[in-house]
Amino acid sequence: MKRLKKLLRLALLFSLVQVVAGDRVDAADPQSVQVTIGTILVSNQNDEFDPKLKSMEKQLRVLKYRSYRLLKDETQTVPWRGDKSFDIPGGRSLTVTPQEFQNNRVSLKVRLTERNKPLLDTTVTVPNKGHFLYLGGPPHEGGTLVLSISAAAQ
Amino acid sequence: MNDCERTQENIGRWFDDELNRAESERIRVHVESCTACRAAQQRMEKIDQALHGVLAAEAAQVEFTSFWRGVERRINERRPWHREWLDRVIGVPRSAWAVPAVIALLLALLSLDSYFPAWRGGVTRSGFAAVNSIDAHGRSVALLRENETKTTVIWLYDDQEGEDETAEEAPKAGPAF
Repeated sequence: MKRLKKLLRLALLFSLVQVVAGDRVDAADPQSVQVTIGTILVSNQNDEFDPKLKSMEKQLRVLKYRSYRLLKDETQTVPWRGDKSFDIPGGRSLTVTPQEFQNNRVSLKVRLTERNKPLLDTTVTVPNKGHFLYLGGPPHEGGTLVLSISAAAQ
Repeated sequence: MNDCERTQENIGRWFDDELNRAESERIRVHVESCTACRAAQQRMEKIDQALHGVLAAEAAQVEFTSFWRGVERRINERRPWHREWLDRVIGVPRSAWAVPAVIALLLALLSLDSYFPAWRGGVTRSGFAAVNSIDAHGRSVALLRENETKTTVIWLYDDQEGEDETAEEAPKAGPAF
């Protein structure tokens, strides 16, 4: 009986440690976030679909354009609460600042500027290593730029 | 239960000196004054003496030297740590494992979301990218969400006619740049 009581006490202690450790794991922030920005030129000039965009074809087709071409694909490791800028064609720049990591989702503060003039400030939450968020609108070479944004916490 | 029943029930333990002082004293006093219980005590003494005699005679014929040597060897023998640990673990009653096992299982189930967020659709259930805030610095902006492909699009455009565009129509509107 004494042994049983001792084991019960150990089990409770173990549970407590588990709960505390679990919370710590859940609350732990990643060291950095790998942010990938794809710059896609969409237009209605032809029916070209860049094979490099195959993995996101379904999502892009939602935009109802005829032509989709990947101009640039850039990945940068952004330190937690630090920021990194991505050059976007047309003298634009996209600055990304990781904000929060919770429930396997990454919050990012995103700023789009054109020649140092802010065009858009937004805070988005993307699934970690999951679906992209698309930011579209800037004109470029007779078409429109669409930026795909994804994040992978590390 | 009267005194005699209680005494005779405990007389064996009293004889083996297993009772506490108060109970032992109570039985001693009772046995001195009760004929039946004294008789029980005497019977117990006779059995004890008989057993003692038999065992002592048998024990005299047993060769204990090699036995004690073996015991001594096993005491001095250093057992590997894993054997001791294994014995300790296996020695625990099965019922004692049930409680920590259930607790561990419950904790594991509760922690699944933290360790494997996608296990019950954590991410896929709400796989959308979410937009928490937008400031387009005076420009028009539309938010498009498409369920089937879980697509979220922020679209900047010129609202030249001053109309409220719907999200679905946003990509067709003129760009803001």
